[in-house]
Amino acid sequence: MDLAVTIASWAALVAGGFFYLVGAIGLNRMPDFFTRMHAASVSETLGAGLLVTGMLLQAGPTLVAVKLVIILLVLLVTGSVATHALARAALHDGELPLLADADGKLAATSPDSLFPGLGARLAAPLRSETVEQPEADPSKP
Amino acid sequence: MFEIAILAVLVSLVLAVWRALAGPTVFDRLLAANAIGTGTILLLALFGFLTGRPEFLDIGILYALLNMIGTLAVLKFFRYGGLGHRGEDEEHVG
Repeated sequence: MDLAVTIASWAALVAGGFFYLVGAIGLNRMPDFFTRMHAASVSETLGAGLLVTGMLLQAGPTLVAVKLVIILLVLLVTGSVATHALARAALHDGELPLLADADGKLAATSPDSLFPGLGARLAAPLRSETVEQPEADPSKP
Repeated sequence: MFEIAILAVLVSLVLAVWRALAGPTVFDRLLAANAIGTGTILLLALFGFLTGRPEFLDIGILYALLNMIGTLAVLKFFRYGGLGHRGEDEEHVG
């Protein structure tokens, strides 16, 4: 039993390290920002998840395991939120993804060609910008 | 086995630093900064296990929370050109 847990932990740690490395290599090798973001998400979900799983198997049912689960949950939630915000900010800033045209050539293309109207929606102000300012309270000095 | 994982994370950190320095756009640099933050947390946790001192995990949790706040703050800065609420000054004047 102990040996099985050790072997499983070993496998998870080595696999986690492998996927972490794969994500980091992709971060350098991918051709444009959005594909780089995809590569980074590999190391942030699969790599980090497997590494934490390996450490969980080593820790056993202790307080250390609870802390590891907290770290994993925070990583998963913040990774998704930060990736979404980053992609939104990049598209809003006019960063165009590389898309293949009819001949298979890669070119920076407006996302409108895939999702009609997306460019206009991204350029429109966010809801938080258009919200009405509350009327000044006359009773306040 | 922790040595192998630590080595992988360290090499990944070097590659992420490379992207942060070379990144053509500011978003590439932000993505790399986010990856460096995640790598730091995992490195802290793995190092704690390697040396048999899992107290390092507390520092890892702190880094995770700081990482989230930092990324969102920088993104908000680039989106709005500032970190304060829009219209805050007018409220105070009016």
